[in-house]
Amino acid sequence: MGRAIPLGMAAIATVGFCYLLLPIVVVVLAGLTAGEILTFPPQGLSLRWVAAFLQSEVYLAAFLFSFRLALMTMVVATILGTAAALFLARGNVIGRQAMRAFFLSPVVLPGVVVGFSLYAFFIATNLGIARTIWGLWIGHVLYSTPYVIATVGAALASCDRSLEEAARSLGASPLRAFRRVTLPNIAQGIQAGAIFAFIVSFGQFEVSLFLSAPNSEPLPIAMYNSMRYKFQPDAAAAGIFAIILVTASVLLTNRLINIRRLIERQEP
Amino acid sequence: MTEIVGMSARPVAPPTVLGVGPRHLAWLLVVPLAVFLAVFLVVPVGLLFITSFNPSSLGPPSVTGELTLANYIRFFERSNFVAAAGRSLLLATVVSGITLLIGFPMAFVIARARRAAHATVLLILVLAAMQLDMVIRLYGMMVVLGDNGLVNRMLAGLGLISAPAPLMYNFLGVVLGLVQFALPFMILTLVGVVRGIHPSLEEAARSLGASWWRTFWRITLPASMPGILAGCLLVFALSISSYIVPALMGGFRVGVLPIHIYQQVAESARFQFGATVAVVLFVISTTAVLSYMRVGARRSGGLA
Repeated sequence: MGRAIPLGMAAIATVGFCYLLLPIVVVVLAGLTAGEILTFPPQGLSLRWVAAFLQSEVYLAAFLFSFRLALMTMVVATILGTAAALFLARGNVIGRQAMRAFFLSPVVLPGVVVGFSLYAFFIATNLGIARTIWGLWIGHVLYSTPYVIATVGAALASCDRSLEEAARSLGASPLRAFRRVTLPNIAQGIQAGAIFAFIVSFGQFEVSLFLSAPNSEPLPIAMYNSMRYKFQPDAAAAGIFAIILVTASVLLTNRLINIRRLIERQEP
Repeated sequence: MTEIVGMSARPVAPPTVLGVGPRHLAWLLVVPLAVFLAVFLVVPVGLLFITSFNPSSLGPPSVTGELTLANYIRFFERSNFVAAAGRSLLLATVVSGITLLIGFPMAFVIARARRAAHATVLLILVLAAMQLDMVIRLYGMMVVLGDNGLVNRMLAGLGLISAPAPLMYNFLGVVLGLVQFALPFMILTLVGVVRGIHPSLEEAARSLGASWWRTFWRITLPASMPGILAGCLLVFALSISSYIVPALMGGFRVGVLPIHIYQQVAESARFQFGATVAVVLFVISTTAVLSYMRVGARRSGGLA
């Protein structure tokens, strides 16, 4: 376009970016406040609440619980999602589009409803995993796998298939061609998908609501339970660690894959 | 396995799915996820539908073959549940509109950034905000919007208000929280769409003498319509399903469907009626999602 973005539009966009980022900045400052109660602006900075978080039985335990749950989720979601993405990527399977939509659908289904139905299902079937880490694990895999499918799918779409065909026509077995040609090409996409799966699980709230037990709570649930009554600066300090974790993950993802191209990618 | 070995001896490879094997073996790749989703998504949600038709009883949920419409009759006869459904619909609609008004300019700035690096930085910010736990973001929102929060103190400091303005624990607070929650999804949907508009369309309009805004209204906006519709439906489905935002920003004073589900099940132990409310929410949300998939299938980006 001949002219840069008009002022009015740029102004709204700036306000929007501030609105999006302001709460995050506030949490960081709240966790670093020197005051006894949380106020804004903070009465000087200190690490006392960070120290309190590191000694807190509630938040530190919840943070570590979430970390463990996210790792467990990441492993399964990456395997299930990568296999499904490989299947969906190529080959003119009938109903491929519908299948892809079904596999991605959990992301947009109401988490409270899915969490409730899983909880009722675990109880009705006497599986003994209602309100345990295993039940949470299943719920989180549902919500994390779609991100792996999308990310690996994008990597597969941009990887040249003729290379693999060349390897095949030179006599490589299908497995060998896959291992030596295709896999190295999509390895970074798989790693990025795994990171996405990790953070999605780490921040998952809605599906955890019905599935977590009082003594083993993921961090979002523990923070929510305390925030209903009062604001704890050590909860904000726990938030700082979560912010660092998420920011590092997104930056790492950006080193692995081109985030811009992933977002801008149009369905064929 | 013997088949795979046998095939590798052929000089020219037959069509395979990613070379993992002949077509019928490639199906194995999709079996684990399909089984997982069938067992842990389709069956539980199906049982939830049946439960919603079971007569009310106390105690742990068990699915029976006894079917009745009593729960649904109760839902539609009680004005507070119908009002909650209406409030949920209104809330999701208002949030979609506001998110579009703010999100479109943000997506536009990202899509039309002069340098790719600028777009990448902005996208990383959006993605990091989106991936960050909503409870943490709401903590920040509550510190800003509370009675003793940043905004109220600033307004009081300027002498504009004498009592704190109610920015939270009401409908407005829930809207503000949901906009914060939904903005990244709207932006990620729209960036790909705006990028996909061919520049020559706009250049043609400009070279024929149309002003920037006229070009925008007549060319850019109509060309973005499928993405705008997809983004609004996505945001609608996500915001109508949110429990955490109405719970914290509404302080349980804004009764929407997810809040009622939790109260019926966790506080009143009315599993069957809770299932009925859940089914109502599920049907509304899936309708929006299915429409989103119809309009958005060819338009949206990889993640949103």
